[in-house]
Amino acid sequence: MQISTRTTNDISIVAIAGSLDSSTSPEAQKSLAQVLTSAKKVVLDFSALDYISSAGLRVLLGAAKQLRASGGTLGLFGLNPSVREVFEISGFSSILSVYPSESDALGAM
Amino acid sequence: MRHEIQMSVDADPSGLRAVSTAFAEFAEAHSLPADVRRSINISLDELLANALSHGRTGRDPCSVTVEVRLDEERVTVIFTDDGTPFDPFGREAPDTTLPVEMRPIGGLGLHLVGQLMDEVSYQRRDGHNVVVLVKQLVNGQDTDFTDGN
Repeated sequence: MQISTRTTNDISIVAIAGSLDSSTSPEAQKSLAQVLTSAKKVVLDFSALDYISSAGLRVLLGAAKQLRASGGTLGLFGLNPSVREVFEISGFSSILSVYPSESDALGAM
Repeated sequence: MRHEIQMSVDADPSGLRAVSTAFAEFAEAHSLPADVRRSINISLDELLANALSHGRTGRDPCSVTVEVRLDEERVTVIFTDDGTPFDPFGREAPDTTLPVEMRPIGGLGLHLVGQLMDEVSYQRRDGHNVVVLVKQLVNGQDTDFTDGN
């Protein structure tokens, strides 16, 4: 897994590539926690994310709760069919804001 | 070319990485379709994480054997551990309709396995938990999906 963060205007875009599972989630959680110390608008770029397991969902849920509590917003884009399926099964597609493209996600922040 | 892998690991983070790496090589060598590979990757992660947390209370991590077999129509995963008796599919499905603030952290993993696989079964046999998962190769194993494989 690789994580890279860039900032456009006041929006932090965090790209997570590879797999988000039990082995990689602790590192992803650390990186996101760091971003969340300052950012209130966060977009997750999943276009290079291969798959996500419940350990990864847990990290997303934690970030979503934290942002919601602090009045921030979270958006996601670039989900492949597998990640989309996991989102559907788990109900995450209805609790997180998923956008078809980066520009849609940025426009909604 | 080998059509199966079998390996024994401890249910701990390094065991998890070892299984994940071995399966990735197997999937690539046999050109498994991306959706099949990803569903199995996720299921292996969930079962190992489950064995890690439910394993053997107060003792060493439980020992896990993972077998993956490929034939023309399906991939079969046989997951055996020597932990305390635990039926991973014997629980009620979690409520996935709750709003974000109400969501308990966790409880989803084994539900995912049940949904992503075509068949799941559990039995307690000779002091071991034995979980069998089947994923059909609907499109044939040579089909390669180009969605970021």
